[in-house]
Amino acid sequence: MALEYSFTLDGVEHGVSIAARQPELVLTVDGRAHQVAESGALNEECALLTVDGRRYQVWRTWEGNRIHLRIGNRSFSVGYEDAITAAQHHAGGDDTLRADMPGVVVAVNASAGAHVAAGDVLIVIESMKMQINIVAPREGTVETVHVAVNQTFDKGAQLISLHAEA
Amino acid sequence: MFDSILIANRGEIACRVIRTARRLGLRSIAVFHHEDRHAPHVALADVAVELHADVPTAAYLDIAQLLDVAKREGAQCIHPGYGFLSENAKFAEAVEQAGLAFVGPQSEVIRLMGDKIHSREFAVKAGVPVSPSVKQEGDLDSFVEQAAKIGFPLLIKAAAGGGGKGMSIVRSVGELAARARTAMGEAERYFADGRVYAERYIERPRHIEVQVMGDGQGNVVHLFERECSVQRRFQKIIEESPAPNLPRELRDRICKAAVELAASAKYRNAGTVEFILAPDGEFYFLEMNTRLQVEHPVTEMVCGVDLVEAQLRVAAGEGLPWKQSDLKQTGHAIECRICCEEPEHDFRPATGAARLLRLPEGDGVRFDGGIRQGQAITAAFDSMVGKLICHAATRLEACDGIVRALDEFVLLGVSNNIDYLGQVLRHAAFRDGQLHTGFIAEHAADLAQPPLDDTDRAALLIAAALGVDDFRRLAYETPEPHASIGAWRN
Amino acid sequence: MPRIQSTIQTGSAEFRRYYAHNRELARELREKQRMARFERPQKDIERLANQGKMMPRERIEKLLDPGTPFLEFSTLAANMAYDGEAPSASVITGIGIVQGREVIINANDSSIKGGAWYPLTVKKIVRVLDMAIENRMPVIHLCDSAGGFLPLQSELFPDKYMAGRMFRNQCVLSKMNVKQLSLVFGHCTAGGAYIPALSDYSVIVRGTGAVFLAGPPLVKAATGEIVTADELGGCDLHTQVSGTCDYPASTEEEAIAIGREIVSQWEHTPKWNLQRDAVEEPYYDPDELYGIIPNDIKRSFEMREVIARIVDGSRFHEYQPAYGTTLVCGYANIWGFKVGILANNGVLFNDSALKGAHFIELCNQNNTPLVFLQNITGYMVGREYEARGISKDGAKMIMAQVGSHVPKFTVMCHGSFGAGNYGMCGRAYDSRMLYSWPNHNIGIMGGEQAAKTLSEVKLRQLERRGQKVEQSELDRVYQETLEAYQHQMSSYYATSELWDDGILDPVDTRNALGVSISAALNAPLGQQGYGIFRF
Repeated sequence: MALEYSFTLDGVEHGVSIAARQPELVLTVDGRAHQVAESGALNEECALLTVDGRRYQVWRTWEGNRIHLRIGNRSFSVGYEDAITAAQHHAGGDDTLRADMPGVVVAVNASAGAHVAAGDVLIVIESMKMQINIVAPREGTVETVHVAVNQTFDKGAQLISLHAEA
Repeated sequence: MFDSILIANRGEIACRVIRTARRLGLRSIAVFHHEDRHAPHVALADVAVELHADVPTAAYLDIAQLLDVAKREGAQCIHPGYGFLSENAKFAEAVEQAGLAFVGPQSEVIRLMGDKIHSREFAVKAGVPVSPSVKQEGDLDSFVEQAAKIGFPLLIKAAAGGGGKGMSIVRSVGELAARARTAMGEAERYFADGRVYAERYIERPRHIEVQVMGDGQGNVVHLFERECSVQRRFQKIIEESPAPNLPRELRDRICKAAVELAASAKYRNAGTVEFILAPDGEFYFLEMNTRLQVEHPVTEMVCGVDLVEAQLRVAAGEGLPWKQSDLKQTGHAIECRICCEEPEHDFRPATGAARLLRLPEGDGVRFDGGIRQGQAITAAFDSMVGKLICHAATRLEACDGIVRALDEFVLLGVSNNIDYLGQVLRHAAFRDGQLHTGFIAEHAADLAQPPLDDTDRAALLIAAALGVDDFRRLAYETPEPHASIGAWRN
Repeated sequence: MPRIQSTIQTGSAEFRRYYAHNRELARELREKQRMARFERPQKDIERLANQGKMMPRERIEKLLDPGTPFLEFSTLAANMAYDGEAPSASVITGIGIVQGREVIINANDSSIKGGAWYPLTVKKIVRVLDMAIENRMPVIHLCDSAGGFLPLQSELFPDKYMAGRMFRNQCVLSKMNVKQLSLVFGHCTAGGAYIPALSDYSVIVRGTGAVFLAGPPLVKAATGEIVTADELGGCDLHTQVSGTCDYPASTEEEAIAIGREIVSQWEHTPKWNLQRDAVEEPYYDPDELYGIIPNDIKRSFEMREVIARIVDGSRFHEYQPAYGTTLVCGYANIWGFKVGILANNGVLFNDSALKGAHFIELCNQNNTPLVFLQNITGYMVGREYEARGISKDGAKMIMAQVGSHVPKFTVMCHGSFGAGNYGMCGRAYDSRMLYSWPNHNIGIMGGEQAAKTLSEVKLRQLERRGQKVEQSELDRVYQETLEAYQHQMSSYYATSELWDDGILDPVDTRNALGVSISAALNAPLGQQGYGIFRF
């Protein structure tokens, strides 16, 4: 019931949370409690960790949304998303992109059912003599294109919708 | 001796050559493609010159640019390393025509040994055993008819090939024609030479090779054998010297055959004669590599020599640095190739960046690397980023030493085979020396990483969580008395 | 500091009798709390689930830092009002930790009549916002309310401490730089609209969150306009057009995540640096409190035994141990925080009142917070004591207590009768927090005394009119008065009316005080100074 932080290992999501901090740190992994101590660090990248009495040397580094670790003489890569992004993913975000200002559609590059990657330019609009790219905020499939080329629209108008994620 | 050298290569072998060159007082000239501008060999060399090409590997294959740089920078010799132009006869020729020394064999020897069919014929003439084989000279039907006489299983290979391309095992006559056609197609595609040949396929073969060094006048010494049987995707990943469980008499015969082959070719500089060793003790010539091998360090460590230095001395016309009787094997050395790949996905190459790199240390441990922390690992080049070698008094001590070194090896940010190599080296069959080229396939189940137990998985996820600043703050920056009171509810 | 030497015999028949009695009271309390928190008609649970809403307590659990305490206030507010229709007065308030910061939570409970505000709901929210002002604690409003409960509007709308006070308090907080965040999960209707509108930060959930001065039915009645709740005051309208809300969220989970991130941007404001020593658990088991508190309101007990089961290491530095012995005064630590304790060990005499006044001044001089443990039947009455000036001595104690600039905390441990309630920092005296134990009784005088007094008044009335007085009539007056008194004296009545900040299981007292003292340190100390003491 308490707040969990979500980590992905080999495609499987795991929840890590905190059960207690004193007299020792107790963290939960998927609801199971583990006694944890960080018994110092060799340097910034290498920590000494004790979990349920087992000692581990942990090397750790970051890259985007991944934490790379070497622990127990094996290397792993764990995915992490900040809570807001994770919540958006869980919700499956049925994004509808809307116009920030009135204008006219210059180009439509996607049609319903098209698979798009984050950053793909879906629609180009012109407003106040400026051309503005409407880009996909995430990877997904186009559900509806609400406008056509040369169509004018008002501020707040729906331009394009992506399917909700599973 | 020369006073300057151009290294027509990159990565760990470029670094390796530069180190010896500097020790001998040679000015080192490195070349690099834009993608490699932050690579260690660029930093290590006295001079580094950029080569231009759209495709990064093409830069290192551009003979005209290389010779231009060599002339401009006043290089006296060119070391080709391995791969790229190292076995390109035209390059060797061009280098010598430009008045520079090529640190390697004569171009005609390269050409001879580079052709599987001609080299086999040459071996037969030199009295070196070759496995029964049939080459494709006419049409497919007659090739199939002849090949079937060798018996099954048999192996079809590209005449001009290497690296497993155009290679196929045929276990029955029924599939022979189809396999041959496929192999020819692949050979045509990869090597622009559709000729193939068939040879006896030996079950559970070992790959034994002999390091030789010739002076180009017919004088050749060998530096004993290397065992290179542990392979994946037809490429070696673990090599060692001496070969385990190899009777001394058989070892001597193999080495002798290698020397005879090289002497017949009046071989110059360092080369390697590769053999297939059958379980019955029969051995057959496979091919000769006319360059320094990736796995040369194991020989250097057991023989106490610097092969690159010897290469330079021979190239400089100083003759062979040793007599055969000078060369002895001391202890045992094992090398692991550190590759950025995914062993759990059929060793497919991996890309990323070496976010965190900590090299192992310890007695007898050597790392020949061409990687540094922060470096991007792209698909542009080979997946091998270095070699970890351990030398110890006995094979088991060397095994233990290299396992320890692998455990200590930290390379994070890109998938790699370090943990997988550890699995191989810990395996009882490896420790017993029960090696053959199908070792990886035979023990695939044992070599897969065991699943984590609950505590280890929890520790991993906890370690990850504690690496997240938000989570750390949550764990450690809760005010008192709340942290002590904990999850109390009234 | 010396440890209190307990003389409690845990094997004695009396201890076991008291223990059984008080354990039963605690069990009853827990059960009432459980019902107030979780027992809801199935249709209400389903209604929330169908709207994709979490139960309000789920929201709080997801908002708080995991593994940290939540000190809930007045869970049993309104338990004796509105025929029990508004458990917890339809609102959850308390102190919790969000992103390492102490915050006050004000969460509408929309599983009860859509989160409508009853008079006691408003009282409870005003109280918790007063607490936020007094202790300078940020507030997170979890909004999901249908607005004022119209049938009772006269009891919740017009007066000084009614609905308007909530919004007034919000403005005061903002002016004091005390942050407020609204997470709009459901409707904020009419006055409720001002909660997000007056918050410094707000997040609104798309689809279910809505903010408007009048809901669709009222709009239709007023202007004939037909409009959906979402069109009228939904997420997109308020985050894209009106600017009433700041952050849109697709789900409650996302709203909470955004809210947590907003809180993590807040500065850590420095707290008043009260000396804090290493923490020691009480030497004597707090569970023994059950065997110490008598099963009869008229029986006295040794307050030092109670202190020994609340304070660190059961250690207590007693002030004037031989003087005014019916008021125990001294220093102790609670969760490491140094406090001055005043605890009743009998009726207050002149000397005990003077001792109390002096000790309060010492604590103020020393910047030591005060903890009052009440079990008081009043100041001593009678000619002798009046002649010695019991009224002016009691007045000195009240004057010193009211003039205190250090924070005060009160626990109603047993009885709280008469003027003793004043001197010992009763509800009117601005305790930062005031808690009761389930055995607690409160009144202007004891129930029996009141009944006796009232039946005597009745007798004289009837006699003046020359009526004959039947003994049975007198007995009836006595009995009725006693019952009414006992009903209104009970801790459940007191907490129902929000005369306290909640009933505590006695074993929770130490934790509740720890969280409360820590909360109080968020406000700077006021100026020292008193009124005129009558000598």
